Formats: sequence, C-alpha cells, structure tokens
Amino acid sequence: MSRSMDRLERARPAISDGIDRDALFAQIVATPQDREQPPVSRSGRRRLLIGCIALAVLCLTAGTAFAVTGFNLFGWHTDTTIVNSPRDWQRLYREATRELTLPPGEHWPDRTLPPHTVTSRTQPGGTAVAISQTAWECYWVDAIRHGNTSAAQRAHSALDDLLAHHVLVAPPGSPENVAPPAGTKPPFAIFASDGGIQYIRRMYRDAADGRPASLIQSCRANGPVGTR
Amino acid sequence: MTDTHTQSEGAEARFAEVFQNLGSIVRYAAARGSRDPEGIAAEVMTIAWRRLPSLPADDPRPWLFVTARNLLMAERRRTGRQAPLDERHAEAPAPEAESGDPAVTAALMQLRPADRDALLLVSWDDLTPAQAARVAGVSPVAFRVRLYRARRRFEQALSAQQGGLNGSHTVGMEST
Repeated sequence: MSRSMDRLERARPAISDGIDRDALFAQIVATPQDREQPPVSRSGRRRLLIGCIALAVLCLTAGTAFAVTGFNLFGWHTDTTIVNSPRDWQRLYREATRELTLPPGEHWPDRTLPPHTVTSRTQPGGTAVAISQTAWECYWVDAIRHGNTSAAQRAHSALDDLLAHHVLVAPPGSPENVAPPAGTKPPFAIFASDGGIQYIRRMYRDAADGRPASLIQSCRANGPVGTR
Repeated sequence: MTDTHTQSEGAEARFAEVFQNLGSIVRYAAARGSRDPEGIAAEVMTIAWRRLPSLPADDPRPWLFVTARNLLMAERRRTGRQAPLDERHAEAPAPEAESGDPAVTAALMQLRPADRDALLLVSWDDLTPAQAARVAGVSPVAFRVRLYRARRRFEQALSAQQGGLNGSHTVGMEST
C-alpha cells in the first residue's frame, strides 16, 4: 500500500458512540418483522417444484431448438443476414439516423465497421438507437441541472418514443443473433429478456419524479467521456 | 408454538450477526456528515430486522451501507441542507468529519464525491472493492477503475497539500 493510502487509513476518525447495544437490540427484536409469504404446504411445494422443473425443461428445449435450427418463435428467428463492408454499414447507419432524433445541438458521430469484421444488418440501426438514447439521456441530465423543465419534458418524451418504437425485447432464451419478425420497421435495438428494459423504464420514471440518480449515472457511464 | 419459537430464535440469532455492523454504520454516517449518526445506524438496524428474510444471506454489509446512504440522503432533504446537485442526486453524501489529519481532510475534499466515496468505502469502511461496488451501484470492474483513479487523485491532492504547507503549490481537480 502506498504511503498516502496508509495515511488515509490512519486518519480514519475514531467514532465512540454512546449506544446501549443490548437495549437497542432488545428494542428492535421486540418490533414485528414484515410479513413473509404464507408458508407453502409440503404438497404445494412439491407441485411448485414439479412446475418449475417442467418450465425449465420447456425453456431449455425451446431455447436450444431456437438456437440450433433458427426455429421461428412468434416470428422471431435467427438472423442470417450479414454486412461485411464499411460502406454498407455506413449506409445502413445513415438510413437509421434519418428515422431517429437527437437533442438540439447534437450531431450524429461518424461510425463505421472495422475492417475484416462481419455483423448483422440490423446492428448499424441498433448503434444509432443507442447513440440517440444516450444523447437524450445526457440532454435530460443537463436540463435537470439547469432547471429547464420544458427541455426535461422534451427529453423524457423523446426517450419514451424511442423505447416505444425502436426498442424490442427478444423472447426468453433467444440466441444473440436473433432478429424480430419480418416486416419490423428498422431501426431498432434488441434487448435481452433480462429485465433491462424494465430497469430503463423505471429509471426514466424516477427521473421524471425527481429522482434522477440512475439517469445521471447512465449518462456518466455511456455519454461522452469527460463531458458530464 | 415450538416451531414459531424456534423460528423467532433463529431470526434473532441471524439478526445478532447483522447487528454487529452497528459500529460500522455509525462510522459511515458520521464520516458523511450526518447530524445523528447513531440515529441513522439504529434506523438501519430496525429496517434490517423488519426485512431480515430479504437481506442477502451471504453478506449483508453492502445492503446495510446502501440503506444508510438512503437514510442520509433523506436526512439531508429533511434538514434542507444545500449541496451540489451531483451530491444530492447522484452520489453518496460527502464526508465532513474531521479525519484527525488536516492534510488528508483537505485532500479528500478536493476529490469528486464519487471518488471520495470510493476511497472511503474501502479505506474507512473496510469494504472489499466488490462489496463497495454494490454500495456504489456500479459493476466491480467499473468500481476498481474508479478506485484506481481516486487513489491517484488523492495522492496528487495530498502531495499538493504538503507542498502547500511549504509553499503555495495547489492542484486542481482532474476531470474524466
């Protein structure tokens, strides 16, 4: 450990509290605990266990079949389209940017496909969606910092629109290269069914309700380095 | 009846282990400028008892610190204390306690709240980086990066403090 860190540790303030621990402990455990779920009977537990196993087997089977054969699940299928030239990638990216919005004063960054790289044809659109999302989140953070209510509402509305029209959630168990049903209008970003979209929605709700901590953190994490 | 009694004893035994962190929570709250660190710690423990079944069985410390942080923020809102927006909404409350080493205190106060909190979680609150990451609400990898930078900035700020004692050299905050 460096001398500075050692010195920091030694500078830890000595706290001597005057808490009567025994009394506090007794006082706390005398209060009721939150009510737990009613206990499940043994037969009920067995039924629940069998149900869970059956569901797990079903998910595993469906997921495996889906991954291996490109099994069509509600129109979702394995994406076999590819783009392997930077020029094609940039065209798809530009097309996507025309369907999306950025906050005032922001410009679409130049992006391209690294040489000798292959990706799916939906990926450039997904990139554009992510850029738009981050830009609006950071715009919202700035609006909050400056107390600009109308700008904050505008950002919230833009993000709600983005989630509603350009973000899709893949069915549980989908492989990474999943594609939505044919005819889905690009651009879109595909989220795994892991609660991520619910987290983002909650983050926006919280920010709109005056609790922007997660939004600020998201902007910090995903926004341009050193600008927020 | 016996089952209920045994369950209650089991809960108390488990809570007794959680309760051993009371002193750490008092220290955490005091070092973040709470006006009533003992009250905060008692409230954390009360909530922990109430929600004992949902506490992480393996390691309750991050949960306790997060709860303490939330209560500290609520205390700040109640008392209407002014703090920069970043601190009010995004970061844990800043440490205000005298560390017993004026140069260390001054160096700490030069850091960004997030950096300061990362340092103190590990150095003063005895959390491992993985535990501290859970308190800070970031991934362990992100936390390690933050901690690394915070250490570097702290070292710079501390050496500037020492330089300041001898001359007039100061160090500004880095931005990332």
